[in-house]
Amino acid sequence: MLSRVADAMYWMSRYLERAEHVARLLDVSFHTELDLHGVLSGPLKLQWNALLAILQVDVIPEPEESLQQAISRRLTFEMEIPTSIMMCVNRSRNNARSVRGSIASEMWRELNKLYWQLSDPDFRQQVLTSPHDLYQTVQVGSQLFQGICDATMSHDESWQFIQLGKYLERADKTLRILDVKSQLLSRLTSPTELPLANLQWGSVLMSCSAYESYRRLYISRVEHERVIEFLLMNPELPHSVRFCLERAADALVEISGKPLERNDSPAARRLGRIISGLRYRDIDDLIESGLHDVLATAMAGVSQLSSSIQQQYSLH
Amino acid sequence: MDSHEPAPPAASNAVGRLGSEYALSAAYDEMFDRDLQPRPHYRTLARLLQSLTPDEFRRRKTMTDLSMRRDGVGFTVYRAEEGIERVWPMDPVPRIIPAHEWQQIEIGLTQRITALNLFLDDIYHDQKILKDRILDPQLIYGGAYFRREFVGAKVPKRIYIHVCGTDLIRDADGNYLVLEDNGRTPSGVSYMLQNRQVLKRVFPLVFQQYNVRSTDDYPAALLDVLKYIASGFSADPTAVLLSPGMFNSAYFEHSFLAQRMGIELVEGRDLVVDQNRVFMRTTRGLQKVDTIYRRIDDDFLDPLTFRSDSMLGVPGLVNAYRAGNVALANSIGTGIADDKGIYPFVPDMIRYYLKQDPILPNVETFRPEIPAQLDHVLANIDKLVVKKVNESGGYGMLVGPASTKEQQDTFRDLLRACPRDYIAQPTIQLSTHPTFVDGRLEGRHVDLRPFVLTGEKTVIVPGSLTRVALPKGSLVVNSSQGGGSKDTWVLATDE
Repeated sequence: MLSRVADAMYWMSRYLERAEHVARLLDVSFHTELDLHGVLSGPLKLQWNALLAILQVDVIPEPEESLQQAISRRLTFEMEIPTSIMMCVNRSRNNARSVRGSIASEMWRELNKLYWQLSDPDFRQQVLTSPHDLYQTVQVGSQLFQGICDATMSHDESWQFIQLGKYLERADKTLRILDVKSQLLSRLTSPTELPLANLQWGSVLMSCSAYESYRRLYISRVEHERVIEFLLMNPELPHSVRFCLERAADALVEISGKPLERNDSPAARRLGRIISGLRYRDIDDLIESGLHDVLATAMAGVSQLSSSIQQQYSLH
Repeated sequence: MDSHEPAPPAASNAVGRLGSEYALSAAYDEMFDRDLQPRPHYRTLARLLQSLTPDEFRRRKTMTDLSMRRDGVGFTVYRAEEGIERVWPMDPVPRIIPAHEWQQIEIGLTQRITALNLFLDDIYHDQKILKDRILDPQLIYGGAYFRREFVGAKVPKRIYIHVCGTDLIRDADGNYLVLEDNGRTPSGVSYMLQNRQVLKRVFPLVFQQYNVRSTDDYPAALLDVLKYIASGFSADPTAVLLSPGMFNSAYFEHSFLAQRMGIELVEGRDLVVDQNRVFMRTTRGLQKVDTIYRRIDDDFLDPLTFRSDSMLGVPGLVNAYRAGNVALANSIGTGIADDKGIYPFVPDMIRYYLKQDPILPNVETFRPEIPAQLDHVLANIDKLVVKKVNESGGYGMLVGPASTKEQQDTFRDLLRACPRDYIAQPTIQLSTHPTFVDGRLEGRHVDLRPFVLTGEKTVIVPGSLTRVALPKGSLVVNSSQGGGSKDTWVLATDE
């Protein structure tokens, strides 16, 4: 396939996945905030600042608006913010448009529908009154797109690049959510803070679409070590870092035609190293050796992998 | 689907309801005769239109618009990261062409494209038509689209125009006339195909009642042409479609056709020429390309040969073409055949090369470079359409009856200064067709663009792009000037 097409497939998928994550984070933050009002008093700056740290953006509110209002407005619609939902959907769609001839027309139609919906002024008003509907539309739009992709496109090289984009973005987001939230919540240890911790770790799970799966697996109170283990190392959870990186490795194997252990590109070796860490170490060991360092190494690995894939396959 | 509708009232005339005040103009109307009776091939459609209420019709029009927007059938009119995309409006009332009319169009266009290809082969080689003084060499050498650097070059299968979009109009008596030939990179065929898909969704029941010939074969027929022209040097040719990229106004069409043919859509930066061979850059290295359906104009095709500032093209492509290692559709320099200055001579070409009389006549055309005709044009400018020879898309033209005194004076000055740059034609009304406007049917002017493919033989897929001028009274159908389109049904029968 054309290198340019491979590149566009990757970014089409990656940007849409990013839009989905931003929408889910905003959605979860809103609803957590509503719950937190019953537990805490005063403004909930910490909560919103964590969201900004996860997305690595800075938002300064206008004089007359709250931080929460500024965040929801800017991260949803503003084109100057590279991670805003509208920007991500727009970029995804532009990439899709540049390869319209190589993707299923149903995929294009779904993505295009989402784009026009988000551009509709009436629909945009919703972010003020019932943001949940809007954020749901984005999440479901992304999931539909990937579902249609799986069901209609040949699982050929193009499809593998779509998987790479999707899973690397997802791994990156899960890692960042874990990193920011575990630092923030590590202080909540006293028994009086238990309900709060419970709520917060619950919202971490929801941010990774993992709340219900967690409930089914661990029939108990949400405990932070288990949450970390689940989101980092579980081999079956679609948003766990291990799951995502193993799928990315599968795609890389198909694209390069070599098993991961025979692929000696720096990216493949790094990916292999992170995956083995997640497969063969246990959670106590990870926490003891410094969770933040482990997560930071993994994040660096994912971003290095991303750039070396581009160097290797997109020669322009 | 419409069972809840009350039975249509006995209409006082055949138009009824939606078109109860349908007004005929001096122009030929496609659906209604002078007594407002539907022509035989429109009777069934007229009956259905009568049975629909304006609300029901509006609902179907909304379905049409939504379908077009969801499918992203549009063109970009502004360049920005966001881009301003416009959907080309499709009118849901189809245009119908009975079998006998289509047959005449088909043989007329086949005759015309045969002559045009012989003309191009002649003009780039022996130039007999100049030596025999049928054409003034000035017209060729002064034409903006003549490629001197291409004289003597060998062209695969000696075909120059593989894809031609010829614009036909109808005069007040309903005669089909050729308005212009588009022999460079004509566009619009994707709308012909897409409109059919949408119309089948919106009016499945009417569609069923007609024997409409399918247009589905167009992409396959085009691929046959692309493979045929490379068959002299490749047993199993690899074809690609070369597009200027997603900011081009016809990008939708490029990706649509590439997808339907199952070939790669490439941009200039995806191709590389090495030792006069063309390759595309893939994730597994370079892959040879044998035949290119190029949707980039000559000027931008190859910065080494034509415009050196162009980033769209492929350096070395023209030499690879000359060396016979790659086929191009259309060939280079075909613009001289659809030059408006050459257009008046196409009937002469048909007589000269084919020894036949033209089947489809031209529109009467005045050439201001001839002093007597210049005088006539200057005196009658308010009744004529004046067109700049090297422009297209409805730019650089004056529609006399719709113009102001100042505009007429400007054009008089232009005509006196550069008579060679203009032609003038009587203002032909173009035929009208009932079109859904503000909740009812009104007559709007239409033209007809069939697409003529030439490879081993000439093939015209039975269908066309019908463009409609949506503003009341407007004669300009171009998409850039407020035009829309209609699905066009070519019938297997006469009714």
